[in-house]
Amino acid sequence: MSRSYDRALTVFSPDGHLFQVEYALEAVRKGTCAVGVRGKNVVVLGVEKKSVLQLQDPRTVRKVVMLDDHVCLAFAGLTADGRVLIDKARIECQSHRLTVEDPVTVEYITRHIAGIQQRYTQSGGVRPFGISTLIVGFDPHDARPRLYQTEPSGIYSAWKANAIGRSSKTVREFLEKNHKDDMTREDSIKLTIKSLLEVVQTGAKNIEISVMEEYGKVSSLELEEIERIVTEIEHEKEAEAERKRSRLAATAAGQAAMSTRAGAESSG
Amino acid sequence: MNTFVERFTTNASNGLFCGNGAVEEDEEFSDAMWGSEAGFGSLARGVPSFTVPSVSDPAAFLRLHTDDHADPNCKIKIQHGTTTLAFRFQGGVIVAVDSRATAGSYVASGTVKKVIEINPYLLGTMAGGAADCQYWETYLGMHCRLHELRNRERISVSAASKYLSNLVYGYKGMGLSMGTMICGWDKTGPAVFYVDSDGTRLKGDLFSVGSGSTFAYGVLDQGYRWDLSDEEAQELGRRSIYAAGHRDAFSGNTCNLYHVKENGWNFIGNYDISKLHYDGPGDVAGSPGHGYGYDLRVEGRSSVNAPEAAPAVAAQA
Amino acid sequence: METSFALTGKGYVIVAADTTAARSIVKMKVDEDKIKEISPHLLMAYSGEPGDTVQFAEFVERNIRLYQIRNLYPLRPSAAASWIRRSLADSLRSRSPYSVNLLVGGYDTATHEPKLYWIDYLGTQVDVPFGAHGYGSYFALSLLDRYHDPEASLEEGLATLKRCVDEVAKRLVVSPGRYKVKVVDKDGVREVEI
Repeated sequence: MSRSYDRALTVFSPDGHLFQVEYALEAVRKGTCAVGVRGKNVVVLGVEKKSVLQLQDPRTVRKVVMLDDHVCLAFAGLTADGRVLIDKARIECQSHRLTVEDPVTVEYITRHIAGIQQRYTQSGGVRPFGISTLIVGFDPHDARPRLYQTEPSGIYSAWKANAIGRSSKTVREFLEKNHKDDMTREDSIKLTIKSLLEVVQTGAKNIEISVMEEYGKVSSLELEEIERIVTEIEHEKEAEAERKRSRLAATAAGQAAMSTRAGAESSG
Repeated sequence: MNTFVERFTTNASNGLFCGNGAVEEDEEFSDAMWGSEAGFGSLARGVPSFTVPSVSDPAAFLRLHTDDHADPNCKIKIQHGTTTLAFRFQGGVIVAVDSRATAGSYVASGTVKKVIEINPYLLGTMAGGAADCQYWETYLGMHCRLHELRNRERISVSAASKYLSNLVYGYKGMGLSMGTMICGWDKTGPAVFYVDSDGTRLKGDLFSVGSGSTFAYGVLDQGYRWDLSDEEAQELGRRSIYAAGHRDAFSGNTCNLYHVKENGWNFIGNYDISKLHYDGPGDVAGSPGHGYGYDLRVEGRSSVNAPEAAPAVAAQA
Repeated sequence: METSFALTGKGYVIVAADTTAARSIVKMKVDEDKIKEISPHLLMAYSGEPGDTVQFAEFVERNIRLYQIRNLYPLRPSAAASWIRRSLADSLRSRSPYSVNLLVGGYDTATHEPKLYWIDYLGTQVDVPFGAHGYGSYFALSLLDRYHDPEASLEEGLATLKRCVDEVAKRLVVSPGRYKVKVVDKDGVREVEI
């Protein structure tokens, strides 16, 4: 029955769904995870990198890209679709500068990207973009970091911290528990890596981190730096586990002591 | 058939990066709908359908019917003589204009509003073709409002002027005649941009446009400082327009004065140029209390340089 | 009248352009910058039809920036100049050609060579050691033939430029008042006073 509603994209199912758009979301859920975290005056993008094959050149695989001097984008889903959308966005950034002299605001380019995505849900002969994006940056003459998300349907929204892609629900829940307002640069990076470690088992070599500290100041962390933070987090976790274990042991010991004493008393 | 329409009906963003492969935008999905050209796309695409006369060569058509030097009986006479000025100073922007409209040697009107109130924060001035300025600056106002609605912030003076400049540049060689100053106050403070129908757009502190501009510059340049007080600045604007109205046959009647401040523009007043000559601006801030006219200013002063002893000789005689 | 000069020296290119924007007999502006910094090691001085100049220069600037964002490295001067020439040549054959004359000066960070290209509105492109546009070129070219030295230090190069500027000021009827001078070398682009 539902079959016939999959054929043409522009046809609603009787209960108001556009299946192709929902399948696009499914493609996003299968994509590698990307996390964005907004701190006090910093915004961090972290992505899970696919393991590079032995003979592959890792430099050709990019998941965090610059749209303009002050805007970065990370995506989850079909990489090929991402490339096309990114190129459209980059052109718009330059086009905007050409027509109004000012650089784009982060919201403007987000809305533009979401607009393109929406367009591909409402015309015949096309399929939606199979990607969700996280867009971060700073507006011109403004010190506040920005973080936006777009989806294949064309929805866009602003966030304090968010995740897209594989296991994004787990990561988002983790972020909800651990995000604090006004985090420092270090805390923001750490939270990003920590949340990614929820889904990335292989550690630092499969994590890519980009940091934007102010308008136009973007840097990506070196592998050693990420490794250092990962070990730091692991140590913290171990210490935490250790404490938990000793606490458990203490309680267990206490209980044991109690029961032996009780036993002794009862026997005595 | 219509070269102009063809030029504008191509995809807006293709036009921007024309013919170099920088854009491979698919035809059926124009980015114009989605706020390409910074949100100006959608309406700009529709423009030529109603702004170009339905004749094969609009530029030649316009030339034929407006050339009042060759044919004094031509149907359309375009208003050319004008003095307008605008300058930026510590206290904002002063915009002053005359109010005379001439068609050839005939004074068509003496009460023209040459300052176009684009919105509460933006003013445009009118020199060249009155209709061109009026129409396109009103049109600009429409887009400024759309920009506000789309981006939830006021358009910068820079962006507004650039929009106008790109617009008229698209009509280059088609007979548009405009020399305008876009003045306002935005996040960057007071700003003045000169935009004309050649497509020139200049950012600056002080501009004057029109047939009387040279006369206005003479007074304006000499009296201009960044740290003028509000009163001094308004007085400088009035005096400069008076000077042009007095010397230029195609400018005159009255002077309209506006002051743009942080919270938008204020209309300061309308001054009769003859009154300015004989009596001065009256009881207003910065008024010198007398007429601006040369004769009044030098009344009782003489360049006669008779020798000291001369009066004594005369007395003896 | 609009005038621009450019000359190469030992590891640098100097580009100079007048700063007046005129309309009929009136100087509308005396501090207009007519040299665009189109990439970290590339300068472009433009002159010609009012309106066209800035439109074309900004069009070039944004496309070259777009190239850099897409490819993560900038175009080399020779490639950029070729692209610019091609854009101009294409526009010449369109319904609305740009009437713009250019001097494109850049430092090639790969070969450590300063490059200068003279391009006119017809799409002529020449790789030159020095070049000039406008009425000033009638005075400056012979002067540069006589005094230009490809191994000149920056100070010497600026001194030669000063000769051009002074000569034009002395002999041209309506000579421009002030010039903006920019230098591009291995460290990138900077403005200098003469």
